[in-house]
Amino acid sequence: MLIFDELKKNDPQLRLLAVTLAGGLFVLLAGLWWVQVVSARKYESHLETQSYRTVRIPAMRGKILDRNGRVLAENRPRYSLSLYLDDLRRQFDAAYGVAIAQTRAGQKQRIAAEEKKLGRSLTKAERKQFALTTGQLKQLHEQSRFRVADSVVKQVGQQLGQTLTLDEAVFNRHYETRLALPYPVLPNLNDTQIARFEEQYPGGLGVDLDLQPVRTYPFGMTAAHLLGYVLRDDSSAEGEDAFFSYRLPDYRGAVGVEAGFDAQLRGRAGAEAVLVNNLGYRQTGNVWSRPEPGHNVVLTMDLDIQQAAERSLAAHQGEDSRAAVVVMDVRTGDVLAMVSSPAINPDYAANEPARLNDPKLRPQINRATQENYAPGSILKTVVALACLENGLNPNATIYNPPSPENPNHGYIMIGRRQIQDTAPSGVYDFRRAIIRSCNTYFITNGLRAGIENIVRMGEKFHLGERTGLPTRQETKGIFPTLDRVHSGWHDGDTANLCIGQGDIAVTPMQITVMISAIANGGKVLKPRLVERIESQDPASGEAPAIFPSGVVCDVLGVHPRSLKILQDAMLAETEDPEGTGRAAFMPGLRICGKTGTSQVTDEHNRVVDHTTWFASFAPYENPCYAVVVMVQSGISGGVSCAPIAHDIYEAILNSEKSNGPALAALRHGGQTD
Amino acid sequence: MLNIPINEPHAKIDRLQLAVLAGLMLIGTAFVYSATMANATAATLPWYDQSWVRQIVWYALGIGAGSALCLVDYHTLSRWSFVAYWATIFCLVAVMIPHIGSMRFGARRWIDLGFFQFQPSEFAKLAFILVAAHFLSRPEDELRHPAVFWKGIGLLLLPFALILKEPDLGSALVLLPTGLVMMFVAGTPRKYLLKLVGVVGLLAALFLVDMLFMSPGWWQVSMQPYQRDRLLVYFGRDYTHFAPPDATPAELQRIRQQQLDDEYNVRQALISVGSGGLAGKGWRQGTQNALGYLPRAVAHNDFIFSVIAEEEGFVGSVIVIALYAVVLFTGLRIAGQARDRLGKLVAVGVVTLIFSHVFINIGMNIRIMPVTGVPLPLLSYGGSSVLCSLIALGLMQNIYIHRKGY
Repeated sequence: MLIFDELKKNDPQLRLLAVTLAGGLFVLLAGLWWVQVVSARKYESHLETQSYRTVRIPAMRGKILDRNGRVLAENRPRYSLSLYLDDLRRQFDAAYGVAIAQTRAGQKQRIAAEEKKLGRSLTKAERKQFALTTGQLKQLHEQSRFRVADSVVKQVGQQLGQTLTLDEAVFNRHYETRLALPYPVLPNLNDTQIARFEEQYPGGLGVDLDLQPVRTYPFGMTAAHLLGYVLRDDSSAEGEDAFFSYRLPDYRGAVGVEAGFDAQLRGRAGAEAVLVNNLGYRQTGNVWSRPEPGHNVVLTMDLDIQQAAERSLAAHQGEDSRAAVVVMDVRTGDVLAMVSSPAINPDYAANEPARLNDPKLRPQINRATQENYAPGSILKTVVALACLENGLNPNATIYNPPSPENPNHGYIMIGRRQIQDTAPSGVYDFRRAIIRSCNTYFITNGLRAGIENIVRMGEKFHLGERTGLPTRQETKGIFPTLDRVHSGWHDGDTANLCIGQGDIAVTPMQITVMISAIANGGKVLKPRLVERIESQDPASGEAPAIFPSGVVCDVLGVHPRSLKILQDAMLAETEDPEGTGRAAFMPGLRICGKTGTSQVTDEHNRVVDHTTWFASFAPYENPCYAVVVMVQSGISGGVSCAPIAHDIYEAILNSEKSNGPALAALRHGGQTD
Repeated sequence: MLNIPINEPHAKIDRLQLAVLAGLMLIGTAFVYSATMANATAATLPWYDQSWVRQIVWYALGIGAGSALCLVDYHTLSRWSFVAYWATIFCLVAVMIPHIGSMRFGARRWIDLGFFQFQPSEFAKLAFILVAAHFLSRPEDELRHPAVFWKGIGLLLLPFALILKEPDLGSALVLLPTGLVMMFVAGTPRKYLLKLVGVVGLLAALFLVDMLFMSPGWWQVSMQPYQRDRLLVYFGRDYTHFAPPDATPAELQRIRQQQLDDEYNVRQALISVGSGGLAGKGWRQGTQNALGYLPRAVAHNDFIFSVIAEEEGFVGSVIVIALYAVVLFTGLRIAGQARDRLGKLVAVGVVTLIFSHVFINIGMNIRIMPVTGVPLPLLSYGGSSVLCSLIALGLMQNIYIHRKGY
């Protein structure tokens, strides 16, 4: 080295010193290399963890649409007034400065007064008693902060024409734990308030408007059970970053389509990194990952039919009726309407808690799928098919003797048990037995056909099984298995089953699938609630995910002649003057139906209530629609339920007219895209 | 050549060293600016109250004082060295008298002159170098007398003890290597030096063992609590080890909090330096300083290096160290070319002093040295430090100007 050479060769001390210095500098360089180059990443991450706070930004939730594109659930912007604490920091400091000066001056006066009293100056230890403790200083900080924030809020409140107050405890907690986020002052401003605010506050004054999306349901309580509702839930979904310092409000579907398709509706939350200083005040924000908006869910439901069903139910049975309606396309399995009454408000928080928890109304239950009901006479359709397949001659007659207790009605003896008939005594063939719903006829023939054949037929209809709806509101019903009927099964049990009583329960949705299979020639379909899931942005070019329609779960495998006999008898039920389902009759549309009235018994086997049914499909010539109505505490299927089905068919015809080609094409056997 | 008288001083100065010093002062201004302007309240001060402007003023004063010293032959200066030495000793005593010395951060180191907080310990280092060079420049034979040796030790221990009492551990510590190296270069017999180093080493070892491993019941060296804490932080010892045995959980909690607070500076400095990486974040882009994680009270003085290292990265650190290396080795060259032993010893003293400052200061930023309040010469903000560094370097130039004529 240049300088080294110039050192005199005979000066060993200087040379040693030079070597030592060089060594020392080398140690520093090596240390710096280690810290700044080798371990740099470690310190960078330290730096990030101490100065960044991550905020979870929920994605825009997808809409729910009906089959014709009408919006059933969407997001509405909501403006709330927020306090931006970082903008108020100067004012906080200034207020604290004033406060501490005042307090100090007060202490001085007190010391002076004390000195005057004692007539001498205080010792150090005595003065110490007057010093401010850290607790007092903290309190002073809190008070001055609160005073600043409170005066800002009051001022804004005056201009908005609404008295605003700040809760000191809540404010201080927010300051300590969520300083990097704005403090919400007034949620949900109305339009006047927004206009006034925008006019008077150009911004930068510590208060500003915050925009939050809230879920709204434009049609109110319509299809509430089908849509479900969302609940506040800010937690991370699966596959998302689990750690966030703060989370903005987000919602998660609790039941219904909102829950079943939550993952698709929800999208993917984004993350914002907020740089904070060592006191926790926000410096800058930087969006690390943008939220990906959720997808729209397009239902198979037709809003017109749904609303008609709801209106008709309310008109005939009242708002608080406990009832359900399901309308299905018998060729595709598309659910066109699904009503459960009483309805709830999908804006869950707006429901009255007392009503929600009413033990009788139980509005939270989706009666179309979520509860078991005795099917009563509508199950006679299954028994009839089992009998016809096993050699029943539909023209053969059976005499229904008059009951000794009520000579107008028939009865049958099973062992020592007398089963009353609602049909009058007389001679019955198949057609008359269906339209008068004759118990004696079906018990007699059911026993002849044998319980095993009836159970096999029921199993083909997938009774006692879930239909596989994605709404998390389904029960599977009850239906005896072959194992069950092989042990401890008596003729009395078979007799009960033949008239849809006893150890059997169904949901209206199961009955709809059943009646559809009878209508469409024997295909047991999987009900389809959702037609497709598509991007919220029509310009995205993303192909929608389409759910297949007309998925066949099972084929009945019965002779077409048997179905034809049954369909003819069901047609007569609404068209024959004697038919129990006359109320459904409607000129211009030939409706096949079956009424049912099942007894609800208490634990002492006493009849306490009736569940009434009307299961139907139309048109007779080319079946398209199945309509099933169930009313709890009804009078009878024909009286309580058939008129509602009538209204629904009327609405279907109107809908076909107004929505034109799509449905008409359906009706005439064409295909929709 | 022949018509130039041999004893006539060369009018030449060491240009390389001066250029490097100018570079260091530029860096110093830039980073004092960066370190202080990040603070919103500091940035609103009028320009003449800004730290970086004041730093420039101190540079100007220091350059003036250093140049003035070059006008007088260092032999003349050295005759006044004892006067300067006793004057600083007087100041060091005066600073301990409560109404003269002003208290800041728990230490009494400053004499408040109104416009200037005068720090006698900085000037004591200079005076010590001068007086030691004067004392040791006697013929080598005399250095073999034990009496002379002990007198030399006495010259060192007096300011050392006084500065330690202030307390200013860092300034006291840099005196030790400076004195030792000067004695070594002067030709003090090796056996004395080895004994001295041995005794100092033993004392230091005993002190550390007592400090770190003995429980409070034992006899302990009296130290300011914050000094003890700094050492404990450096050696990673748990504070609670030193808690009285009957401490309540609340007290233990308080002690732990204290430990966290004390480790804070060191940790933040290390994060600053480390997060700079290879190339740094750019001037005024350092987040540690801007967001206040690196405490504002120390960012522009004792921890200025961590600001430089964060903003300019390893490259910047190497440049700073290279600049100091040039200053140090040109200093050694000046020592080698000095006309006599007096000049050589003064130059060696100044070089060792600067090196000690650089090593301890940068060392504490990367945690290879404990935290002691030692400024980084010419880069750290501070009037006394800048003034003394520039005066010392002026002395060096003085020696160069009056060097041997080859």
